Amino acid sequence: MAEDSEQVLGPPDAEVEPPVHMGRRAMLGLLGLAGVGIVAGARIDNALGSGLTAISSAINLPLPGADQFRYYTVTGSYPVIPASSYELAVDGMVSHPLKLRIADLRSMKRARLVHRFQCVTGWYVPGVHWEGVHLSEVLRAAGASPTATALRFFSADGVYTESLTIAQAQLSDILVADKMFGKDVTSEHGGPVRLYVAPMYGYKSIKWLNRIEVTDKVVPGYWEGYGYSVDGWIDGVAE
Amino acid sequence: MINAAGRNRAPRRSTAHASSRGGDLARFDSVERLVHWSTAIVMLTLIVTGAILYLPVLALGIGHRGLIENIHVISGLCLLGPLLLGIVGPWRRQLVNDLRRFDRWGAADFDWFKTRARRSEVPRGKFNGGQKTEAAFLGAAMVAALVTGVIMRYAPASWVTWATGATLVHDALFFAIGIAVLGHVAFALSRPDQFVSMFSGRISRSWARDHAGAWLAEVEASEAGAADPGDGSPRRMQ
Repeated sequence: MAEDSEQVLGPPDAEVEPPVHMGRRAMLGLLGLAGVGIVAGARIDNALGSGLTAISSAINLPLPGADQFRYYTVTGSYPVIPASSYELAVDGMVSHPLKLRIADLRSMKRARLVHRFQCVTGWYVPGVHWEGVHLSEVLRAAGASPTATALRFFSADGVYTESLTIAQAQLSDILVADKMFGKDVTSEHGGPVRLYVAPMYGYKSIKWLNRIEVTDKVVPGYWEGYGYSVDGWIDGVAE
Repeated sequence: MINAAGRNRAPRRSTAHASSRGGDLARFDSVERLVHWSTAIVMLTLIVTGAILYLPVLALGIGHRGLIENIHVISGLCLLGPLLLGIVGPWRRQLVNDLRRFDRWGAADFDWFKTRARRSEVPRGKFNGGQKTEAAFLGAAMVAALVTGVIMRYAPASWVTWATGATLVHDALFFAIGIAVLGHVAFALSRPDQFVSMFSGRISRSWARDHAGAWLAEVEASEAGAADPGDGSPRRMQ
């Protein structure tokens, strides 16, 4: 069969005698290497470890295999909000609408957790230190209505939105975070205040959080409009 | 042939090698050029959008991640389209033939990696060892980028460890493909004959004599076969 089509399609280079099928061998070899990378990549990632991560953060470039944050923004720039003028609005179906400043958040019951930041596309940063206030605590302070079922989150960039159900919001590993690795959350990471939803993919952890609306209907957020799951549960990740 | 200045070029031609004929050689047919340039446009789109998604300074400075991601994903899904369209129809003949040339390596191709002094005198075919290496690498890299990209974008949540591996490979491919494409463009721009032939489809006989002697011999053999309409059959029998 292969010989037949060869006759029809003409001769190979005259000097190749006997021909060595190097082209397809090289391609198959490279594809095999890529396959190993896909299957074993998570382990290779761990093995490459901190050295590569250090270089990577020094040159501000996520080198392949390094555990480094990638900075996403969905608008043409990103909000830079001084901590001194920051306010988080909590409104909608609440008995006490709130305007929480950084000092207010810092005087509430504080919570800390250490957990990986996992992006839906595959990259992750292990062992990120987060600090802030439990989302459930914020809702309690605002007096969320018992008939409310959902939350809408708004970003200061004016475009990024997210959602959770009230039931999900009761989880103890969801923070309204104002500190990361012991320092104020930077603008690049979504500061002064961002959401951190540990059991879900990174896109649920909205950046530049400036308003939480308590409502009775889940409205899918920005990334859900691009086909990502409304319930962004992380599956299959051991930690 | 006499040009406007009245100089007769015929005597010069008579000094040329006995087997050489006038006129350029057809190097790339229109299907190959169409496949090349449409793939080039898609590849450029992928490199630019990929850089915006991947490099922190561009990811933050240009942003619009949803839009850029969509352009990148759609371009990626289209990347192999021109090549596949090129090899499925009756127009595929020369493209498939040249892909087969990429696959087959002879002594002249391995010579390409040696220093000039250590090369044998074996004439080269239509493509040299460097071009064949580039073709094999980019072919594999495009397929690997497509597979890893599809995993990153469409794999179910339970595949997240594979998505991590796919991200590692996809990131590495960003650098590897970037270097390969930059090298390809640099080689093309420094070799005007070959660069122009990807527009015109044609290349001079003297280029072929210097760089692809075995290919020239092959073309001239088929020209000789086709140019004898009287009784070509004995010639073919030999």
